[in-house]
Amino acid sequence: MSEAKPDKTLDVCGKICPYPDMNTMTTLKKMEKGEVLEVLLDYPLSVERIPRNLKKQGHKLITSEQLDGPNHRMLIEAHGLK
Amino acid sequence: MEAVMTGLFVGLIFGFVLQRGRFCMNSAFRDAILLKDNVLLKTVFAALLVELVGFAIMDGAGAIAINPKPLWWGANLLGSFIFGVGMVLAGGCASGVTYRFGEGMVGAMTAVLGLAVFGFFTAGGFLKPFKDSLQTGTTITAADGSALTLHGLLGLDYTLVALILFAIALVVWFLIGRKEEFEADPGWGWLNTGILIGFIGIISFPLSASAGRNYPLGITAGWINILQVIFKGAAFNWLGLMIIGVVVGGLIAALISKEFKFRVPKPLMLLQTFIGGALMGFGAVTSGGCNIGHLLSGIPQLSLGSILAGLSIVLGAWAASYVIFVLPQKKG
Repeated sequence: MSEAKPDKTLDVCGKICPYPDMNTMTTLKKMEKGEVLEVLLDYPLSVERIPRNLKKQGHKLITSEQLDGPNHRMLIEAHGLK
Repeated sequence: MEAVMTGLFVGLIFGFVLQRGRFCMNSAFRDAILLKDNVLLKTVFAALLVELVGFAIMDGAGAIAINPKPLWWGANLLGSFIFGVGMVLAGGCASGVTYRFGEGMVGAMTAVLGLAVFGFFTAGGFLKPFKDSLQTGTTITAADGSALTLHGLLGLDYTLVALILFAIALVVWFLIGRKEEFEADPGWGWLNTGILIGFIGIISFPLSASAGRNYPLGITAGWINILQVIFKGAAFNWLGLMIIGVVVGGLIAALISKEFKFRVPKPLMLLQTFIGGALMGFGAVTSGGCNIGHLLSGIPQLSLGSILAGLSIVLGAWAASYVIFVLPQKKG
């Protein structure tokens, strides 16, 4: 599977509610259109909530994969409206 | 089997459902304004409605005798507002940090420590005089000295008022609530989680009552009981055992779904969740209940004190979310 190469990586492992979500959204806001953000997270609620809220902000979820246990890796394409 | 042991059983199911259902009132209130995401808020409403009808039928049939909390307007307003601020700092409500303890989140463990210790000091330590004077100074009771309730104000039977409210809520639901759809539902689906939590609330009432504690679910007083067991040689009560059940139930659910992991945030974050927990413990004991004792268990009993406390928790959570998360974004 060919995969988009991330322009930026955000590690929010260990962070509590709602920091994983907030950090992801703020980082995406600062990125250019089409840039790809890689998010590493281990908080189950955010793993489900981030994809739900990305759409509302216009960003595109490329993949969300489970690594091991609660650890997840997401690739998100920013829509670039600063 | 001793009657208190049913607390452990109820707690195990409660913890399991909380973890799998991702139930968190802190997220519910905060997400509604911060992310315009109201899925969890709907779960809370669903649970409240199930309890409302369950309590109404059980009380009408004589299986339970509802025991609404009194109205201490000053203590309810101040205590619950502080509780609401605290849960934002702690990253979870009283039930949220309790089940996440079982998930291995160290930030939740420090929050629980703050909650238990400051709840303990407010219930029987150096903060007790302040709490007592605020509660007695702002008490308003019904003419016969009983707790003020919605049905009491109307002069009507509890079961009747509860069933009417339930019917009104269903009508509102069918008119406006049904249209919204969600592409990715958290956990088991918001409605299933809400109904399950409502049923746990319903079964908890008679079981806890038969152990001598005539009230449905709670959290804060259970943690205080655990400290009393450890430091004062007290016996476990129904709620203390229920808390142990919630932690273990959350742990089992996290292990089954492979979501268990020791997650250690930065020291500053641990301090923040401890302070948040401490504010929650002080606030909950001052107000006479946390998000579970007042919001989930008290509102369906139509206690005016619980309704006021519930609103104040939401206001506190919104105020803190605004200051912590919205203002910094506006500046930067």
